[in-house]
Order: sequence, then C-alpha cells, then structure tokens
Amino acid sequence: MDYYVAVLSIIGMHILLGLSVYVVAITGQLSFGQQGFYAIGAYLAGIGTALWGIHLLPAVLLGMTAAGVMGFLVGFPALRVKGLYLGVATFGFGEIVRLVFLNVRYTKTIGGKLVGPNGAEGFRHVSYIYDRGFTQAQYLAVIYTAVIIVAGFVYFLERSKLGARFRAVEEDEVAAAMAGINVTAVKVFAFTLGGFVAGLGGALFVHYSTYIDHQMVTLPLAVSSVIYPMLGGLGSFWGAILGAALLIFLTEGLRFLQEFRLVVYGALIILTMLFRPRGIIDEAMVLRVRAFLRRQVAPSA
Amino acid sequence: MTETLLDIVQQLMNGIMYGAFYALVGIGFTLFFGVMKKFNLAYGSTIMAGIYLGLIPLNLWKQPMWVVFVTCVAGAVVVGFVVEFACFRYLRKGHELAPMMTTIGMLILIEDAVVIATHAAPFEYPNIFGDESFELGPFLIRPDYLAILIAGVVFVVLLYLLVNRTTFGRAMRAVAENPAVSQLLGVSVTRTNTLTFALTSALGGATGYLVAMTFGALQPGIATWMTIKGLVVIVIGGLGSIPGAIFAGLLLGVVEFQALWFLGISYRDIFAFLLLFAFLVLRPSGLMGKAA
Repeated sequence: MDYYVAVLSIIGMHILLGLSVYVVAITGQLSFGQQGFYAIGAYLAGIGTALWGIHLLPAVLLGMTAAGVMGFLVGFPALRVKGLYLGVATFGFGEIVRLVFLNVRYTKTIGGKLVGPNGAEGFRHVSYIYDRGFTQAQYLAVIYTAVIIVAGFVYFLERSKLGARFRAVEEDEVAAAMAGINVTAVKVFAFTLGGFVAGLGGALFVHYSTYIDHQMVTLPLAVSSVIYPMLGGLGSFWGAILGAALLIFLTEGLRFLQEFRLVVYGALIILTMLFRPRGIIDEAMVLRVRAFLRRQVAPSA
Repeated sequence: MTETLLDIVQQLMNGIMYGAFYALVGIGFTLFFGVMKKFNLAYGSTIMAGIYLGLIPLNLWKQPMWVVFVTCVAGAVVVGFVVEFACFRYLRKGHELAPMMTTIGMLILIEDAVVIATHAAPFEYPNIFGDESFELGPFLIRPDYLAILIAGVVFVVLLYLLVNRTTFGRAMRAVAENPAVSQLLGVSVTRTNTLTFALTSALGGATGYLVAMTFGALQPGIATWMTIKGLVVIVIGGLGSIPGAIFAGLLLGVVEFQALWFLGISYRDIFAFLLLFAFLVLRPSGLMGKAA
C-alpha cells in the first residue's frame, strides 16, 4: 500500500512538471529548464518551513512565487530564440540554477541537526510534514489537491480567449501578431505560469522527500519533464497527465526488466514519435473526442 | 604580477588546445544541421558508443592502438547508421520537434545499453602519449592536449578539402542550400544525407578516441557531457557555420580553463553557461550565423 502511495505521489509531482512544460509548449516554446524552477520552488519552500518555521501553505506559496518571478525574468531573453536555441538556453538556465544551489550555504542547527541548503551536501531534514504527523496518504491528498487546482486552471485556460491566443502564437507568430495578439505578453506569461507550476511541484516534492540536492535537478529531470507532454500529446492538458502517469507506471511496472527499463523507455519514445509525432493525445484526437461527446449529449441532432 | 600573467597564458594555451575538442564536436553537430536541417541529439551517444566499441579489440584481443582508433571510427559510423534508420528515415515530415524527441530517446537507449553491456564499470583508456607534460619555456604542455589541437587542425583541413573540392562536398552544399532543387539537378538527397551521417559519425569517432584518451577512463556519462558541450558551441557559433563552431569551441575552452584556474571547478560550468546566455541575449544568431 505504502508503495502505491509513493508511486502516486511521485506521479502527482511529475504531472505538475509535465503541465509546466505543456503550458509553455502550447505557445510553441519547448523548455528544457523547468527543473530550474522546480529547484527554486523546492529550496525556497524548504527554507520556509525548515529554517524559518512557517506553515506549509505560505512556504509553498513562497517557493511558487519565487519560481514564477524567475519564470517571468527568463521569459524575456527566451523571446529572442526559438526551437533548439530555446531548448539549449533554457537548459543553460536550469544548469545555472543548479550550480548556484551547489554553492549556496545557509544553515542553522535546529534540534541538534544541521538544517538548510549546504552546498554539495544538499538540503536535508525538511521534515515539516512528518514532524506534524501527516501520513503519506494525507500528503498524497495535498499533492493531488494541488494537481487538480492546476489542471483545472489549465482546463479553463485552454477554453479561454487567452488559450486561443497561446495556440495562435504556436501556429504562426507573425499571423498572430497581425491579428492583434501581443506575442511578447503571451510568451512571457506562459513562462511565468510554467515557473509557478514547476515551482509548486518542487515545493511539494521537497516536503515529500525531506531532501533535495543539486544532482536531482539535472538533465534527466529536464528530459523526462519534456517527454511527458510530448509523448502524452500536445492536443490537450490530459496529454501531460497521461504521459507522466504512463511513463512512471511503466518504469515502476517494468521492474522485472531491471536494467533494460531505460532501453524500453527510449524505444517507446522513438516509436511514439514515429507513429504520432504530436504525442498520443494529439489535436486530431481531441477533435474526435469532442465530436463524440457532442453526439452523446445530443443524440437526436 | 608576472606569476598571474604566466598563469593566464598557461591556461590560455590549455584552453585553446582543449577547445579544439569542443570545436570538433560542434562541427559534427553543425555539419549535420547544415545538411539535414534537423538536430541529432543522439550524436554524443553515437560517439560514446563508438569509443566503447573501440575498446573491444583492445581488451579482448590485445590489439595495438591504431586498430582501436579504426574501430572507434567504424563503430561510430555503424551506430550513426542505426540512429539514422531508427530516428530519421521513417519520421513524418513537417514536425520540427519530433526528430529532437526521437534522438533524445536514442540517447537514453544507447546510454543504457552501454551501461548494461559494461555493468556501469568505468573502463581504462590507455593514453598513448603518456602523462608526462613537456616544458616549453616557462609553460607546461600536455602531449595529449597538443594531440587534440593537431588532430583538430588536420581534421578541419581535411573537412575543408572534402566540402569544397570534392563532388560529395558539392552535393552536400547543394542539399544544404536547397534539397528540392538539388534533387531535380540529379543530386540524390537520400544518398547525401546518409553520407553526411557517415562523415559526422566518423569525425565523432576520431574525436571521441582522443578525448577518451585524455580522460584516461571511459564512462557512459560522457555522451551527455559531449551533447551539452556540442550544443553550447553551435549556439554560440551560429547554426550551420563551421568557422563559427571552431571559434566558439576555442572560446569556450579558453573561458572554461581561465574560470577553472582562477575560480574553481563549480564556477567553470557557471561561466560556460553565462557565456551562452550572453550570446543568446546580445547576439542570438551566434558568432557567424546568418541573422535570424
């Protein structure tokens, strides 16, 4: 039971990462730097509860906000580049964040334990939820509350005028600009939003694992957070959720393959892209599902 | 004061010699992009797999180092063809991000396959130049670094001749300029693409052999490291530009070595990425790239 709770918790936090890539990706920008926002959220929320002794909620909000502000700041230089350039630039941002946390020391001794970000040693003893007697299952509920709020927000975003603007910018920037859409604002807003969501994921993660260090936010995390929406599909936010759930269940479920898991993982990505270049839930599928649902609602029409 | 100056010059020399390696990896990426207009993120793992294959004749049959070198090159070419077949040949057209994702999948796959085959144990890579530095006036020069620089110059000259003086080179430039028109004029685009794959992979295998030697030990993580360095170089140098990749590689080498010497290892990488950011903000098309 505990095992399934743990797997579901990890899926929840990775869904947030996938959604943070997704909201940026639907403006046509692929970010390999969301793990940087994740790290900012994790470190700041951890500092909040473990060092300053504040409540979990404001600490998580603090981490989120810091990551969101950083997303806003990254959004501007990111405007100048596209495609692979943007991928490399955002990854460079993620690495700078990682290397900064590798060098930051800010510790206090609390209850005989050295707490706080301690350079290469990482940030240990973020034990807020366990000190206050949360069970893993209760914290799972906290994580999924956050996931539902974010997913609900993205759901309404996609159906709003703003969501249409996001898609228009992805489709054709020049045409979008000529139609009166402020491309700069849309792209920067998407990055800010992505920063918030990834920061939330990180803030929840550090309290779940009680520990984070710079090695947890390297290229593999960047790659998997991009793979979730790409494999799950860019047609709808369900794609990011499906991608995260599918890939984590798969890596857990394929334990009997042992070391061959990553080979299967890599092959799965290649095969999905060969057959469905926009992921499993692509735009065509979204349209088909909508048409199907409409028929169900009004069968006589 | 003179001490500091000597240090600066010493690190400048190291940086240029080592930067030659970054330049070579960057050239591989940039040639590939120039011709195919697609990104091959599995290039680093192609090189890595090639140099691992090069260890087979050494460890199993005690072959001399030139056999190892040839096996590295041939191995990289074979793996390059596998990448082309799995990640590019059957990919639908018009999806810019799809080749990036398939090659990332390939990167993960190859790296894990090598981890399985070697049980994740690092392998020793014999350095044919020994580890004795020789003195040049007040400066120390590592022979293996110097070998990278010399090899870099030789490879670049060969590449220049190949691109500018041969039929294949002309076909390559034609396809890079306009694939549809080249096809109409009787240049086989498929054949040119395949040969470009072979060429970049062979270049990668040769470069990888030298790098593995300077490291002295080989582990699968080298693939990711080379991919990141190569991407940084092509972004700084400008996509598709060989001179850009050369200058950017040397620049990155020099900046890294100065930062390593004066500030320490964790600042080296920060400076590398800050350099990248500076270029993206101030000159997004790169040193030699066409204006975006």
